[in-house]
Amino acid sequence: MASTNGNLAQDDKTLGAMKKFAEQYAKRTDTYFCVDPSVTAVVIEGLARHKDELGAPLCPCRHYEDKEAEVKATYWNCPCVPMRERKECHCMLFLTPDNDFAGEQQSIETEEILKVRESMAASS
Amino acid sequence: MTEQVTDSSFKDVVLESNVPVLVDFWAPWCGPCRMVAPVVEEIASQYEGQIKVVKLNTDENPNIASQYGIRSIPTLMIFKGGQRVDMVVGAVPKATLANTLEKYL
Repeated sequence: MASTNGNLAQDDKTLGAMKKFAEQYAKRTDTYFCVDPSVTAVVIEGLARHKDELGAPLCPCRHYEDKEAEVKATYWNCPCVPMRERKECHCMLFLTPDNDFAGEQQSIETEEILKVRESMAASS
Repeated sequence: MTEQVTDSSFKDVVLESNVPVLVDFWAPWCGPCRMVAPVVEEIASQYEGQIKVVKLNTDENPNIASQYGIRSIPTLMIFKGGQRVDMVVGAVPKATLANTLEKYL
């Protein structure tokens, strides 16, 4: 769903909250963001959109028959059950240090996320 | 750029193709989809003329995605003669994808 100027402030608030959650959760679980920060940025943006649209940060790397039902089921709400149980994040947001794609960062610049948002808006 | 297929063009473009088709099921806010996209582009040029390579946005085309039981994204599916013959899930290296494809050439 496209953002309008009217709810930009709300979007940014959710985006900020998701960024903060991702950074804190990475530190808490000893996991790292992807070497390519655009991967991290796009997932955080996807989570924020689901949070705004559905009320929960449903994983943006899955296809669902019914998103509302999935939110209620909670299994794929971030951090999902596979992440909490086995540190498995197929969305590549939280990577264990032995993962080939793991970088050294547990934080991301807001600018990076906004850059990806703009590039997505331009290409759609 | 790789051709995008839709719920309505899928039958014509994929199922009725004379050559094997690699379908990249992707979504805009999926991180690993960004990792696998250049791999898919490379495969498309490497096997040009032998296979067809297309992308399907699962957000915009939920019917085909559901019909083929897509769950984790990205999912790369291979179709031959109108049938799904193989699939690879996640951001895989080019060699993995090439090896899977070679079986159906």
